[in-house]
Amino acid sequence: METPGTDDRSLHQRVVGGDESALGEVHSRHYPLVLSLALRVTRDRVVAEDIVQEVFVTFWERPLAFDPDRGSLRSWLATIAHRRAVDHVRSEQRHRVSVLGPRLTEPEPSPSPLEDWVLAADEAARVRRAVARLPGGLREPIELAYYRGRTYRQTAEDLGLPEGTVKSRIRMGLRRLADELAEEEV
Amino acid sequence: MERHYGHGDEIPGISDPLTRLSLDVLAETATPPPGAVDLLLSAARSARRPAPPAGFTAPFAARVAAMDALLASATRADWSQKIVEGWTLQELVAHLAATDSLVADAIEAPVAGPPLTENDVPRRTADMIAYAGGRTPQETRAEWRAQAEAIRARAAEMDPGTPIAPGGMSFALADHLLARMLETWIHTTDAAAVMRVSLPLPVAAHVHPTADFCARLVPWTMLLSGVDGGARAVRLTLTGPGGGAWHVPLDVQVVARPDDGALAETEIVCDVVDFCFLLGGRRVPEEFPATIIGDAGLALDVLRCAPALSGP
Repeated sequence: METPGTDDRSLHQRVVGGDESALGEVHSRHYPLVLSLALRVTRDRVVAEDIVQEVFVTFWERPLAFDPDRGSLRSWLATIAHRRAVDHVRSEQRHRVSVLGPRLTEPEPSPSPLEDWVLAADEAARVRRAVARLPGGLREPIELAYYRGRTYRQTAEDLGLPEGTVKSRIRMGLRRLADELAEEEV
Repeated sequence: MERHYGHGDEIPGISDPLTRLSLDVLAETATPPPGAVDLLLSAARSARRPAPPAGFTAPFAARVAAMDALLASATRADWSQKIVEGWTLQELVAHLAATDSLVADAIEAPVAGPPLTENDVPRRTADMIAYAGGRTPQETRAEWRAQAEAIRARAAEMDPGTPIAPGGMSFALADHLLARMLETWIHTTDAAAVMRVSLPLPVAAHVHPTADFCARLVPWTMLLSGVDGGARAVRLTLTGPGGGAWHVPLDVQVVARPDDGALAETEIVCDVVDFCFLLGGRRVPEEFPATIIGDAGLALDVLRCAPALSGP
């Protein structure tokens, strides 16, 4: 018996055929992104975890809503997560308005799934400062890849480094940023 | 895991580099809480029944799961669309339930729908479609799905070689489940085409036994079509995931086997899915894409006779 495929197309094929172990693999692979999207919009870990489960159950229940010929599974799951999170925020705002009355509260504008979504200015500044504090070896590949939109290969060429080194430095940089930003929140 | 940092991977609504960076920072460090996968699978099972990925019932169970997934996406309009044979989607599901019910009855599993009076697919289909007329599409779907699961569960307890004769066709239980797999697969494909839904193929591990079953049916399709294959044999080379090569004697007394280099008068090379769908009556023999080596007349006879066992 050959080992079942684990690329997104194979996982989708297996999920359509009711193989729940494939759903577990999809969850392991895409959980961090789906959670981070839900968390960024809702700013509530418990709610975000609920949205994560809802997104993966939706994929399980209606896997044919995703078409691998039209985009990546990562992008599809992210779209669903973003929509659900936005819907949650909007319904919370409606609830607050209905409880407090429209004159007592001004609902914050919530992001729309169809509009470009950006970090709040203060958070963006925090991220930018944290990047600036990184040591040069970690900062430069991140600045090239994110701020200038360079690919791995281009970043590696720009820095005169092997592609593998660039990838691992970016990951190290992301982890260092996570630690920095977490410390700031304490 | 391969990721492409910094480009947002076409995630909608996120073109700002700092936002992407912030998400990737989270994505790099977020880990599921303990028990998250178990909770997810438990919730998922309530939404759609899983299928066991292995064992002789698995190919059938997986196609039932795929049809169920398609039905989960069906709109009110989809349910009344004509799919095939003049049947709406609901009537097609009733037809699947009717054909399955003959297998259920043969293995003493609970039978869906009205009491079974005839061991005959067309009559049982007519009864089941009439019965479905008084029920909602979701009720028809639920009864079909529950019966299919009952068949899978009961069959898993039995010897796969047990001979049964639903519809008057006597084969081993395992082969009847492969026949159910093939019909469910074909009708799911019929419905997906009308609903304009892209349907992935079954996994190779499920295609292969179905292709093997189809290879073993070839002499029977010749016999039913009144073509005498005599003592001749065909090498059948089926390409693509789940394919393989078979030595197929055209005498019904001799069973097809994996190709061992034995002499064959002709060789047919074609796609494994195309061949399964040819036997299922969804390919035109005269236009069938195949490479033929050796006796072309014999190969064309084989292809022309292949759909002989297909029915509604």
